[in-house]
Amino acid sequence: MIELKQVTKRYGDATVLKNLNLSIDEAGIYCLLGRNGAGKTTLLKSIAGYQNITSGTIKVDGKEVSTALLDTGVSYIENFAKHFNLPVRKLLQIASKVNPDYDYDFALEMMERFELDGKKKFNHLSLGMKTMISTIICLSSNKSVILLDEPVLGFDALMRVEFYDMLSESFKRHPRIIIVSTHIIEEIAKAIQKLIIIDKGTLCFFDTLQAVEEKAYSVSGLKNDVEIAVRNLNVIGEDCVGVLMTAYIFDKPLAESSLEIHPLSLQDFFIQLVGHKGGVRK
Amino acid sequence: MSNGNYTWLLAVLTPFFFVFYDFMKLMHLGANKKDYYIACLISYMALAFVISLVNTGIHLVIDPIYSAETVINMMDVCRWTENGIFVAALQQMFFLFLVMIFLHVLLSMQAYWYGWLTDVILIAIICIFTPITPLRAVLSVFFSLIMINGNALLHIAICVLLSAALSLFGLMVLKRKTL
Repeated sequence: MIELKQVTKRYGDATVLKNLNLSIDEAGIYCLLGRNGAGKTTLLKSIAGYQNITSGTIKVDGKEVSTALLDTGVSYIENFAKHFNLPVRKLLQIASKVNPDYDYDFALEMMERFELDGKKKFNHLSLGMKTMISTIICLSSNKSVILLDEPVLGFDALMRVEFYDMLSESFKRHPRIIIVSTHIIEEIAKAIQKLIIIDKGTLCFFDTLQAVEEKAYSVSGLKNDVEIAVRNLNVIGEDCVGVLMTAYIFDKPLAESSLEIHPLSLQDFFIQLVGHKGGVRK
Repeated sequence: MSNGNYTWLLAVLTPFFFVFYDFMKLMHLGANKKDYYIACLISYMALAFVISLVNTGIHLVIDPIYSAETVINMMDVCRWTENGIFVAALQQMFFLFLVMIFLHVLLSMQAYWYGWLTDVILIAIICIFTPITPLRAVLSVFFSLIMINGNALLHIAICVLLSAALSLFGLMVLKRKTL
């Protein structure tokens, strides 16, 4: 279980996380979305106890997490993580020695599935392969919380598909909290249960994908008609072209109307939720 | 100079690797800080034992080969051999252990302001204490206690106590260490 209360993190004058509250108490695969610089990595590193927060509390399985906690029970892997320049199989072996609940069979299985040469040294691997090794090590650790920071960076389309399968399979074998931060929104949708969206250090959205499917839609038509139709609804964005208008809604479905109504894709929902133009929210 | 003296370089260089190279990589493999620190201490002790063994071996076997020249081994310089070769090896082991822990703590602090402050203080102590006679005497006493000490029991006790204190301090530094 992860519990964040009033978490604020500042770097000098810049506030990266602002009074963030979040409680994750169910095992599942969670997707963390946010624009570049939204505070995703800071959030994940803070949960992992890799850096301290300025104020607030972070608890993982009831234990307050900070850099002072010598064993957090959280496995975190960042993109471009460096490893010892050893053969892949040896790296997986060492990882099994330092992680008490390591699933070595799963790690070997994944190594074979991704056609990783066990004898090849880490520095001789491509960027995608390096990232894959880090991800396999992290998922095989079987810690109660797994944090993957942009794990699909450098993956080709096939590897990404395989990665999402691996994620689901790993979760089926050992249900636990897995948080994946990514920018490739639509692809990961099949693998995840819940969505966390942060923007400018604050939590914008934390709900299931089902909620997005049911409540997120666009309403298009003449400006006056659209404005009247969405008056009492939660409008997350608007686009106007001449007398035409499209309103993006996250609320209960609109009653029968002559206006054009389309469900929002996950990507469009994200863009409308965190979309800014010239630093000002649309 | 005895070839055995060069074995001490390993004791000086190892903390650099453990602090700047291995820590991050072990964390990426899923190790925790506690295991990392315990592993470092065990490795330092094992390494101190091996270095001491090798240097003692060189002192006993290779140094006497150069019979025409005076071969200086650090074990002689530090007056440890006055207590017999076995005790000298023990003294050397505990001294090297202290050196490695001291360097480990000092290097761990380099990412923070207090590490830089410690560097400045250490440099200032050397620069100020060395030219001033009474202060130089203080430095001399300090090094007589931790290094050039013929009293084996006192020497080992001081090395163990200082190592323990530095280990605790190192733990505090580790608790603040970020990634």
